[in-house]
Amino acid sequence: MITAEAADVEINRNELALRLGVNRGYDDELIEKCRMSLLKVIDYKCAYIRTAIDISEENMVDLGFMRVDSRNLYNNLSGCSEAFVMALTSGVAVDRYLARLQITSQAEHFVTDALASAAIDSFCDYAVKKMREGLNCAPRFSPGYGDLSLRFQVPLLQRLNAHGLLGITLSSSYLMTPMKSITAIMGIRK
Amino acid sequence: MKKITELIKDQRVYFDGGTGTVLQLMGLPAGQPPELWNIEASDKIISLHNMYFDAGANIVKTNTFGINRTKFENYEVLIRAGIECAKTAAQGRENAYVAFDMGPTGQLLEPLGQLGFEEAVSIFADNVKAAEKCGADLILIETMNDSLETKAAVLAAKENSTLPVFVTNVYDAGGKLMTGADPAAMIAMLEGLHVDALGMNCSLGPDIMLKIIGQFKKYCSVPIIVNPNAGLPEVKNGETVYNIDADAFADYMRQIAECGGTILGGCCGTTPEFIRKTIEKTRDITYSLPEKKSYTCVSSYTHAVFIDKDPILIGERINPTGKKKLKEALRSGDLNYILNEGIRQTDAGVHILDVNVGLPEINETEMMIRCVKEIQAVTDLPLQIDTTNFETLEKAMRIYNGKPLVNSVNGTEESMKNVLPLVQKYGGGLIALTIDEKGIPETAQGRADIAGKIIERAAEYGIDKKEIIVDPLALTVSSNPESAVVTLESIRLIRRLGVKTSLGISNISFGLPQRDLITSTFYANALQSGLNCAIMNPFSQAMMNVYYAYRALNMLDMGCSDYIGYAMANAGDSPKQPEQAEESLHNCVVKGLKDGAVIQTEKLLTETEPLEIINNHIIPALNEIGTAFEQKKAYLPQLLMSADAATAAFEIVKMHIPTDQTDSSKAVVLATVKGDIHDIGKNIVKVLMESYGFTVYDLGRDVPPEKIRDCAIEHSCKLVGLSALMTTTVPSMAETIKLLNETDRSIKIMVGGAVLNQEYADMIGADFYGADAMDSVRYAEKFYL
Repeated sequence: MITAEAADVEINRNELALRLGVNRGYDDELIEKCRMSLLKVIDYKCAYIRTAIDISEENMVDLGFMRVDSRNLYNNLSGCSEAFVMALTSGVAVDRYLARLQITSQAEHFVTDALASAAIDSFCDYAVKKMREGLNCAPRFSPGYGDLSLRFQVPLLQRLNAHGLLGITLSSSYLMTPMKSITAIMGIRK
Repeated sequence: MKKITELIKDQRVYFDGGTGTVLQLMGLPAGQPPELWNIEASDKIISLHNMYFDAGANIVKTNTFGINRTKFENYEVLIRAGIECAKTAAQGRENAYVAFDMGPTGQLLEPLGQLGFEEAVSIFADNVKAAEKCGADLILIETMNDSLETKAAVLAAKENSTLPVFVTNVYDAGGKLMTGADPAAMIAMLEGLHVDALGMNCSLGPDIMLKIIGQFKKYCSVPIIVNPNAGLPEVKNGETVYNIDADAFADYMRQIAECGGTILGGCCGTTPEFIRKTIEKTRDITYSLPEKKSYTCVSSYTHAVFIDKDPILIGERINPTGKKKLKEALRSGDLNYILNEGIRQTDAGVHILDVNVGLPEINETEMMIRCVKEIQAVTDLPLQIDTTNFETLEKAMRIYNGKPLVNSVNGTEESMKNVLPLVQKYGGGLIALTIDEKGIPETAQGRADIAGKIIERAAEYGIDKKEIIVDPLALTVSSNPESAVVTLESIRLIRRLGVKTSLGISNISFGLPQRDLITSTFYANALQSGLNCAIMNPFSQAMMNVYYAYRALNMLDMGCSDYIGYAMANAGDSPKQPEQAEESLHNCVVKGLKDGAVIQTEKLLTETEPLEIINNHIIPALNEIGTAFEQKKAYLPQLLMSADAATAAFEIVKMHIPTDQTDSSKAVVLATVKGDIHDIGKNIVKVLMESYGFTVYDLGRDVPPEKIRDCAIEHSCKLVGLSALMTTTVPSMAETIKLLNETDRSIKIMVGGAVLNQEYADMIGADFYGADAMDSVRYAEKFYL
């Protein structure tokens, strides 16, 4: 498990600008106010394992606990013999806070939603940095990217005990709650 | 053999330890569901149970944790096999019990998740029915990290079996469930549901649980279960190992037993050795059950509210009596208004929210269920369910996340025979009104007598008097001169019966000028007479003044810190945001100054026609910011702030437009299509539409095509907006369009969302593709030209 205080993870500004539809470097009072309030409800948690992978069969990735047919993931993991498999969340209090803002202010809701998306992404970068220390890794790859089906969320989350450790649950269409959660696979190059 | 509930009265009993941990040592591959071994390798499962019984455990958990009908088609067979394995191991042993083990569904319940409450109950119920037939000795609901799902499982167990029910939840190091509840909140809810033992398991080691056990000892009246992990998991050479060994584990368990842990065992990482050593280390500790507690409390999904010396404020604003806007909101099903009232009262500092949605022309039960669910998504205060309809009351108590306050029972036979069984079944604090078939007694003694009668009748249902909060009723003093005096005397008499008291305060001043003066003075008197709860208006400064001053004067606010904070925030009558008051309405909307927009609108209304304000001030301002947005001179957050300001202004103007002049023909149905739960884009469109004065029928997210069609037909609305964010849900959008076209070709459909573009929109037969929210507004305006 990797955890972090909300204030210790710098929210990536470029990522935020992209989600807000503003120019890079843009900031204003509203964004700052929303950032401060959001940090109070964020509870970052990450569960991960390091596992051997087998990519001897073309377009097929065997992670030991699941076999994945995905050309994109197969290409992403080329040259790797191991991988980190991870799930991260910023906690269900963020969902509740967003639901509340949806009632009180659409502007704050929109900005906070963008901040929260950028925040979990930034926490993912933060956690990955800790995991990969001294290792040469491929870029992280998530279910839903390219041809990697969302249905692989099921075995992946199960293997990580993401429900028990992080409180992540899946809907019937494989979407995660808390909403601001990420799963990813990151290859470790030989 | 004694029943397990009898055995725990006499001696400490022990659970087994980890199941998966031992099975992996036996060769279960990582990632494979252990439950399959109930059939494929039943000898190993039997031997697992035997090892724990041999180590001295009294109760083994069946290997059924992950089984339910959503995960295994043959769940009944797996459950039967699992229980058979445990029973085989228990056979011939003394004090050896089989706990049918139920874990979480793995899905989160509504409103945050998608699993409906009754669906969850039904999933658990199928498990319980299967287990009941096979002869388990008790049901263990374990590793639950959500309070509402826990409640669903307990109800399923209670409604489908007579077996004892034990419950353990997963707490984090801060002593909270993943969805927020602390031990006091869980204890309030679970004791209300009459579970036989409760406690904690998994996630933490015994070292951390030792820090939390004190809260259980303080609040819990039933046996306390402690089944920790063997510390925290660490991955070493690809293997998961735990950082506390059997000896250290047993040492901690001894301390836990000394601090009040009643039933001990283990969870992940623990093995028979852990249990054997724990038993050795704790055998000589004198055994006692937790004391019965006598506090009064209700709870939400995060915390318990204790009703005692410190006065409790119950917000009265979600009640349609005399509130035109709330009535309108209820009729039109506009939950936003109601949720906003909930949030505002929460921010004003109340402890509990009263929820009354009774209007003759609406389906009260449906509305109450929606409100309870949705209010609990935006505020963490306990709710007071306020209804005279018994069906509504039951449904609301059922889905309520926590232990509710029930408003109310009274001294009539009809009321007692209907309400008391519900409180017995679901648990709850209970407001008891001192009125019966003969009406409200004129004397204090007469009211106390009714209170006494209700207390007695409740006891027959096993409801302790600590759950009863008597409301001696305050009648309007203008028409009943002795009303206040009698009510205050009633409070004093009723307190002697050993129950708490509550009053609807505001009624006292009805029909008098300067009502606040009378109401707040009466409140001060009532507090002095020992009143515990007041159902009141938290936006009345006079009432809040009394509340804070009373606490400061009665040693309930040490250092007067709450009072000082309150007084400083409310010093003087300075108008809000004076700088905003200088801007014109047009500028307030363009700059997104909500407070300013409200002030300016109120000012304009004294000299300008309502419709003129909309057409000459609000709409042109919105157009200005909208154009700036289209030219990329303004950003979406700015546009939304303007929309917030315009909507606030619009709301005020609307109240001044006679109903026959409102233009409800400019309407649009909005929905995020089935399978998609992203609604931010749709919500932005909604806000903009509303700020432009459109009536919006917002169906929410994940909406089936039929529901969208029905809504369009019901309101004869010819404009429908559909949103989708995921490629996987575009087919569902196409399906909706097809259905709408088949129904009525004159219905126009606009679509939008991240995955769409003009090409896609054309392909699925949409009439219009909106690249952004302004686009949709412009199209809608053109449509209604």
